[in-house]
Formats: sequence, structure tokens, C-alpha cells
Amino acid sequence: MNVFVCVGSSCHLKGSYRIIELMRAAIAEHHLEDKVTFKATFCVGKCGVAGVSMKVDDEIITGVTENNFDEVFKKHILAKL
Amino acid sequence: MMNDRYIVEAGYHSINHFGEELCGDRVEIVKPDEDTTIMVLSDGLGSGVKANILSTLTSKMLSTMVANNLSIKECVKAVARTLPICKERQVAYSTFTIIKVSGDMFVEIYNFDNPTPFLVHDGKIVDLDYSSSIVEGKTIYHAKYHASVYDTFVLMSDGVKYAGVGETLNFGWDLPQIKNYVANIYSKYTSSQGLATELVAKCDALYNARPGDDTTVAVLRIRERNQANLLFGPATNKDDDEMMLSLFFSKGGTHIVSGGTTSNIVSRYLNKPLILDLDYVDKEIPPTAKIEGVDLVTEGIVTLNKVLVYAEDYLNSNALYFDRQYNLDGASQIAMILLEEATDINFFVGCAVNPAHQGEDTHINIKIKMKIVDELAGLLKRAGKNVKISYY
Repeated sequence: MNVFVCVGSSCHLKGSYRIIELMRAAIAEHHLEDKVTFKATFCVGKCGVAGVSMKVDDEIITGVTENNFDEVFKKHILAKL
Repeated sequence: MMNDRYIVEAGYHSINHFGEELCGDRVEIVKPDEDTTIMVLSDGLGSGVKANILSTLTSKMLSTMVANNLSIKECVKAVARTLPICKERQVAYSTFTIIKVSGDMFVEIYNFDNPTPFLVHDGKIVDLDYSSSIVEGKTIYHAKYHASVYDTFVLMSDGVKYAGVGETLNFGWDLPQIKNYVANIYSKYTSSQGLATELVAKCDALYNARPGDDTTVAVLRIRERNQANLLFGPATNKDDDEMMLSLFFSKGGTHIVSGGTTSNIVSRYLNKPLILDLDYVDKEIPPTAKIEGVDLVTEGIVTLNKVLVYAEDYLNSNALYFDRQYNLDGASQIAMILLEEATDINFFVGCAVNPAHQGEDTHINIKIKMKIVDELAGLLKRAGKNVKISYY
């Protein structure tokens, strides 16, 4: 599985740095290093939405924040592995 | 501009006498015509406001008069008769060093009471051959020299020589040690202002950050021109992207691509993958990326906003010089290329309004983008760069 966190201007301002930190920690916590390739991406074209954008394989997930991160991780990553 | 290949680059850096708001040293740089550059370093008697007035008058008058081809005798006479006399000390006094480069890299130096200027040639220190004459009771040393490319002339106020007195050294260091230090830190990749800043930083360290005197280094060198091109934003009209990119890549020199959408377009145009770095080397600045065939790929607006901060600093206190020099985030890397390496800078600015940036939750709009480009270009021009902007 390929996971991308957007680090484009708009997402950066909305907290990409923190989401990357959380993602790294979550991948380590669930020992997913061999199953998940974690990368950054520039703009995925959803800047207008609140929160940071992510891409899991070809699916774009918007509105990721520090508060809903655990939920997003479970629903879009853990559940699909 | 000396010719198509070479350019005179002058830069300086000062620190003030501990506790003083104003610097008593002053540097003036003037370019009366394409082939001529004149730099004057003056150190006014004392420190603070009096010294500042003396050195400002001296450097302004001398640079203007030399630019108008008046003889050194006339210049010195005029200055001597103009400087206000200090009530306490009953003298009117300000030192000066004048360096003038004219066509064919012919260099003339006049020095009065500043430490003797020297030259770095091929990475080695060379002493200039001075003759002396007396004008209005002042002994003025004069040297002439036919310079070659990368010859670097170092001018100082005596605060450099006395660095460390009363702090880390009993007598300060002297010219031989200063020359040695300059030979050690010299690199042809360091700009004039960079070299000046590094030498002054050493003095500041010797002074334990409590300079006992205003301390200034002014550097003038002849260097090869170096072009950098920065692409920022997709074209207003999608059909123009290809033309904009082909013009961008037809330019020689360094190529910087700024902006997420912009780098996606470049990646498609070059048919090379866009590879992003996950590591934030600086929390404030989005990571950089790589595209084969592009020297540097960065995020756009946040990164360039920080470059603007660096450019402002470069023209003022240059306090962030070592940050720019050693940090690896996108903004520091762009700042290094534009401020230290390049002499000629071409901006390719795409004016497309990013529809994704128009939401309520973003603080980015096209006006901010244009403002950043305008301000950055203005600062770079003030820094002596040849700047061209094309909008698409």
C-alpha cells in the first residue's frame, strides 16, 4: 500500500508536518513498515477543504487533522490491509 | 557589468561598537557607468552619531567626486574643508579607503589611515604595491593593479585589527593573521558580502560579541556571471505552459521550480518522475523534491515567503547569513542560489489562479503570489543582481 501525505502550500499551512509525524508513529506502532510505503506528495488539488489531504493508493482523503487522525488511519489504512 | 562574462561584485558587513545604535563606519558603493564600480569605506572618529555623520559625509562625498573623475587631491581638499570639527577633540577626522574598478579590470586604491587593503589572487594573499603622497597634510597611499577574474580585494576599518583587545587578546590580531585567516576561508564560491560577513563574524567572536570598536569589512571582486532561473506557478492559459517551460529550460544556468502544481507540470513536460522528500529539515518549510533535469524543486508560496525574509536580511543586518549557508531546507537553498551564487536572475511567473486555493480555509491567493515576486525582485535588484521577470 502506498500512502502519501500532501506537503503542498495549503496543506503545509494546515499541518502536514504534524500529520507526517503521526503517520510515522502509527506505522511504527502497528509494525506496518513492510506493508506501507509512506511518501510525501505535492498538491493533490483539494486545497479548499479544511485539514490536510492524503492519498492512499489512488484514493484521495481530505480533511485529515490531528483530532481525526486515528479514525482516518483505522478506516483508510488499517481496515484495508 | 564589465562585459558579457564578468561582473564586479561589491559587498560589505559591519558590526557596531558595543552598545551603539549607529555604526561609525560607512561603506558607499556607486556605479557611475556600466564599466565602473567605486566603493568607499570610511571610519569616522569615535563612535555613535558623531562618527556616523563624519563617515557618511566622507564616503558620500568621495564616492560622488571620484565618480565624476575629480582628482584625489581635489576630493581630499573638499572633504577636509567640509567635515565638522569635533568640539572635544578639536579635529575633523575620518579615514577612508577608495577602490575604483574601471573597464579592462583596472583597479585603483587610495587609502588613508585604514588598515592596508590587500588582495586574494588565485586563493593566495597578494600585497599591493603602494606609493605615498601627502595631500592637505594627510599621507595617502595609492596602488594600481590590473586585476584578473576572481581577484578579491579586502578593505577594513581598524575595528578588524583591534578585534579581541580587552577581551580575548591583549593586542588584537594584526594584518598577517588577518590575511592568513582570509586565505583560509576564501573560496571563489563565496560572494563578496559572504566573505565580509565571515571575517566580521570572526572579529565579533574575538570581541566576545562586545566589539570595542565599529568593525567593517568591505570586499570587491571580479567574478564570472552566473545565471539562475526560477519558475513559479502555472501559466494563466493552460496552452501557454509548454511555451513557458520551453523558454525556461532553454536558459543556461541553474533551474529552480517552485510550487506543487508547477512541479507536476514540469514532471509531465520532462517526462521524469517527481520524487518528494518526506523529511522536513525545517518544520516551517515544506520538504523539497527532485525531478531529473531540474536543479532544485520546492513548494511555492511558503518557501518563497521565507526566501523574502532571507533577502531582506541580506540587505540589512545579514544576521541570517550562516542559517542560509548551512540549512538545507528549500528556502535556504533558493536563498543561497539567488543571493550568493547568481548574478543574473530570470523569473518565469505563471499567473494561473489555483482553483484549489480559493477555498475559505486557505490563506493563499494570487495577489500574495504577485506581491512576493515583486518584493523579491526588488530586493534582488538592490542587492546588485540583474533581474528579469516574465509573466505568463
